[in-house]
Amino acid sequence: MNSLDDEPKMEAITVVLVEDDAPTLWRLQDALAKAGYQVRAAGTLTEARACLAQGAPKVLLTDLQLPDGHGVDLIRETRQRFPDTEIMVISILGDEESVISAITVGATGYLLKDAFPTDIAATVRDLVAGHSPISASIARFIVRRTQNTPEPPPGPALNTARLTPREIDILWGIAKGFSYAEIASHLGLSRQTVPGHIKNIYRKLEVHTRGEAVFEAVQQGLIKL
Amino acid sequence: MNDHDEDATAEQLPARERRRLQTSRLMQYLLLQALIVAACIFALRQSLPGPPAQYQVTVFQLIEAGVDRAVTLPYFSPLRNAMNDPPRFTGRFVRPAGEAAQAWSVFLPRFTNGVEVTVNGVVILDSRRDPAANRPDRNTPQIAVIPASVLHDGANDVSIRLFIWGPISGFLDRIWVGPDELLRPSYNLRTLIFVTLPVVFSSWQAILAVILGIMWVMRRHEPAYGVLAAAMAVGVAQAFLQTPMGETPFSRLNVILISSAPIESGLVLTFALLFSGWKWQRYGWIIFIPGVLLALAGLFGNQATVRALFLYLAVPMVGVSLLIMAVVTARSMLKRRNVASLLLGCAVTIMLTCWIVDLLSVFQMMPNRIFTARLSYSAMLVAIGAGLTWRFARALNQVDGFAGRLVTQVREAEEKLKASFAREEERARAAALARERTRLMRDLHDGLGGQLVSIVALSERGNGSAGIGDAARAALKDLRLVIDSMDDIGGDLMLALGSWRERAMAQLRPHDIALDWRAVTAQGLPVHPELRPWHVIQIVRLLDEAVTNAVKHANAKRITVRIETLAGADRLDRGCITVEDDGRGFEINSDGAAAGAIKAARGLRNMRSRAARCGAELELSSCERGTRVRLTLPHRFPDSDGAAG
Repeated sequence: MNSLDDEPKMEAITVVLVEDDAPTLWRLQDALAKAGYQVRAAGTLTEARACLAQGAPKVLLTDLQLPDGHGVDLIRETRQRFPDTEIMVISILGDEESVISAITVGATGYLLKDAFPTDIAATVRDLVAGHSPISASIARFIVRRTQNTPEPPPGPALNTARLTPREIDILWGIAKGFSYAEIASHLGLSRQTVPGHIKNIYRKLEVHTRGEAVFEAVQQGLIKL
Repeated sequence: MNDHDEDATAEQLPARERRRLQTSRLMQYLLLQALIVAACIFALRQSLPGPPAQYQVTVFQLIEAGVDRAVTLPYFSPLRNAMNDPPRFTGRFVRPAGEAAQAWSVFLPRFTNGVEVTVNGVVILDSRRDPAANRPDRNTPQIAVIPASVLHDGANDVSIRLFIWGPISGFLDRIWVGPDELLRPSYNLRTLIFVTLPVVFSSWQAILAVILGIMWVMRRHEPAYGVLAAAMAVGVAQAFLQTPMGETPFSRLNVILISSAPIESGLVLTFALLFSGWKWQRYGWIIFIPGVLLALAGLFGNQATVRALFLYLAVPMVGVSLLIMAVVTARSMLKRRNVASLLLGCAVTIMLTCWIVDLLSVFQMMPNRIFTARLSYSAMLVAIGAGLTWRFARALNQVDGFAGRLVTQVREAEEKLKASFAREEERARAAALARERTRLMRDLHDGLGGQLVSIVALSERGNGSAGIGDAARAALKDLRLVIDSMDDIGGDLMLALGSWRERAMAQLRPHDIALDWRAVTAQGLPVHPELRPWHVIQIVRLLDEAVTNAVKHANAKRITVRIETLAGADRLDRGCITVEDDGRGFEINSDGAAAGAIKAARGLRNMRSRAARCGAELELSSCERGTRVRLTLPHRFPDSDGAAG
C-alpha cells in the first residue's frame, strides 16, 4: 500500500483538512503549508465531501465534531472510497473517546490541536512514511481492553481479539513510556519494525462493516444469538 | 439401617476375586462362631461347686403314681401334671452326735416345678410360696433351716413331695442336708447366678427399652429401634411378673405376658431383619403367628392349655428365630463388616447354643436341668447395648467431622465472599470513576479545551502575544494531566509516567532540550494497589515542576529521568524517580528554599509540599553542573491527604 512512499515525490502531497474552528483551521493550515503540503481546507462535512470529490488526497486530517455531522462518518466514507488515503483525527485532548472511535472506522493516528507547527508537519510526514503515531494513553486504553474483565470499561467499544501477544507487549511498552528503540530491544525486534506493528494494530482494531461488527461481537460473546 | 460400611475396595475387584474374598471372610466368621460354641459348651459343662459330698443325699424311696421303688437322684419324673398326687421321695440322713449346736439345713439346688420338704414329719419348706421358684425356666435353688427341735442325733427322715404342673416333666436334683454354714455358700452362689443376675439384666433391659423407645420416637424413620424397644418391654414384663397360682382379674393378662416369649423372639427377629436392611413385607406377620396363638390361648383357654402350647409354640419359635437371626446377622456382617453386626452375630450364636442345650435338657438328654437360654439372652442385651453405644459414638464422630468440615467450608466461603466483595467494591469504584472521567472529558472537550486551542491559534497569528499562547498551552497540558490521572491505571505509576513523558517531550522539543528516559530496573516502579488519582496528580505535577524549572531557570540542554526500584534497609521496595539537568544550578538555602529567583523558590516549595502529601521523600541538590531532584516514593501511599499543609 505504501510502495509509492519510497519513490521520490514529484508533486506535493495533498492534505484535506477538516476543522470547524476557524483559528485552529488557519493554524494547522499554516503549519502544513509551510512544510510544503498542498492543503485543501474545509469547515463542514459538506465542504469536506466536496473536497474529496475532487480526487483522492494522500492524507485526511479531520476534527470529529463538525457543525453538520460527525467526523467518524467522513472517515468511514473516505476509508471505503480511497483505501490508500492516510487518515488522522484532530483531537483537543488526545483522549481515547475520540481517538479510538476514529481508529475503529479507519483512522491510523491522531494530531493534537495545540501541537507545535513543527510537530504537526513531522507527524503528517511520519504518517505518510507509514509510521502511525500512538500515545501512551491510547496504548493503555487498548491493552486494558485486552484484559478480561466481567464488564467492559466505559468508552467506545473495541475488539482486541485479533491482537497477537507481541502486539499487546508493544502496547504495554508504549503505555509505560518506553521508546520504540527500548521496546524493540526488550522484545528482540528490529527498531524499524515497531511502527509497522503499530499500524497493524490500528488495522486490526478497525471494524469494516456493520455485518463484520456483528460477527465480531458474536465471536467475542458480546451478543448471544 | 443406614450404615454404609461396605468395603469400597471390594467393590472394585473382579467378580472371582470378590467371591474368593467373601468366602474367606465367611470362613473366618464361621470359625469365630465355632469357637464361641465350643467355649459355651465348655462353660456349660462346668458343674457349679456344691457343698461337701458327705452331706449329699441321693438314695430315696419314691412313691409315684401308686408305685413304690428305690431311686437315685437326680431323677426325671415322666409325669407332666401331678398336682393332686405328687411323687413323694422318702430318704434318710444321719446327723452325727455332738453337732446339735450347729444349725442344719436342707438344700435343693434344682427342681421342677415345686417341692415340699418334710423332716421327721414336720414341713420345713414349700417352694410354691416363692414366686421366683415357680418359674420352671429359672434355676431357682431353695434352702431351709431345719428347726433344732425337729432334729435329733443319728438317723433322721426327710421326705420331699415334687409338684409338677408342666409344661415340662418333673425333675429333682441331688439334695444336701448338712450344717447350714457349709450349704449356704453353694446356695448363695446359685441364687446370685440364677436369681439376682437375671434381675440385674432385666433392669438393664428396662433401661434399654426406654432408650430405644426414645430413639424410635426421635427417629421415626428407623422402625428397627421401635421394634427392639417393644421386644425389650415385653422381656421386662416377663421377668418381673409372677406366675399366677390362682384366678385373679389380671391373671389372664399375666399369663399372656409371661408366655410372651414367642412374641418377644418375633420382635427381636424383626429387629434383626430390619437392622440388616430388610424391608418390612406384609408376610412378615407370619413371625408373630405363634405369639398371637399363645396369647389367644391365654385369653380364652386355661393355664394348663397355655403351658402345653408353650412347649410346642414358644420353644420352637425361639429356636427358629435364633436360626434365622444367625443367618441374617452373618450375611449382614459379611456385607457391611461393621461392629454392631459382629456383636449381634456372636450373641445369637451364644443364645442358639444355650437353646439347644436347654432343649436337650428338656428331653432329658442331659444329666442335669439347668436352663441357660434365658440367661444367655443377657449376651444379646450386652451386644445391643454395645452396638448402640458404638453407633452413637460413631455418629458423634461423624457429626464432629461434619461440623469441622462445615466450619472450614463456611470460613473459606466467607473469605472468598469477603475477597470478592472487596473486589466488586473496588471494581464498582473504578467503574464509577471511569464514568465520571468520561463525562468530564466530554464536557471539557468542546468547551474549555476548544476555547484554549483557539487562544493558542489566535496568539500565534497576532505576533507578540506569545505569553497568552504559553499560558493557554500550559492550561491544555494541565487539563490533559487531570483527565489522564483519573484513568484507572491499576496502581502502576509507570502508566501515568508514560503519558507524562509524551507531554514533557512535547514541551521540551521547541526549547531543543533532550529528554533522556532511563528505566534502570526492568519493571520500573513497584505496583501500588492503593494508588489514587490525587497521588498521581501530585507526583506528575511535581515532576512537571522539576522539568519547568530546568527549562526556565537552568538553561539546561539535557534532562535525564531515571526510574528505578530500590530495596530499602527494611527490605521493602521503594520506587525512586530522579530528574537531573545539566543546567547552571542554583543555591539552596538552609531552609531548603532556593536563594535565587522568587519564582524558582516558589516552585521548590510547591514540590516539597506535594512530596509530603504523598508521603514521598524529596531530595534536592544543585551545583554549577546541574540540579538533581530525587523523589523516593513511600512503600505505601497514604490513604488520606493528612500531610497537606
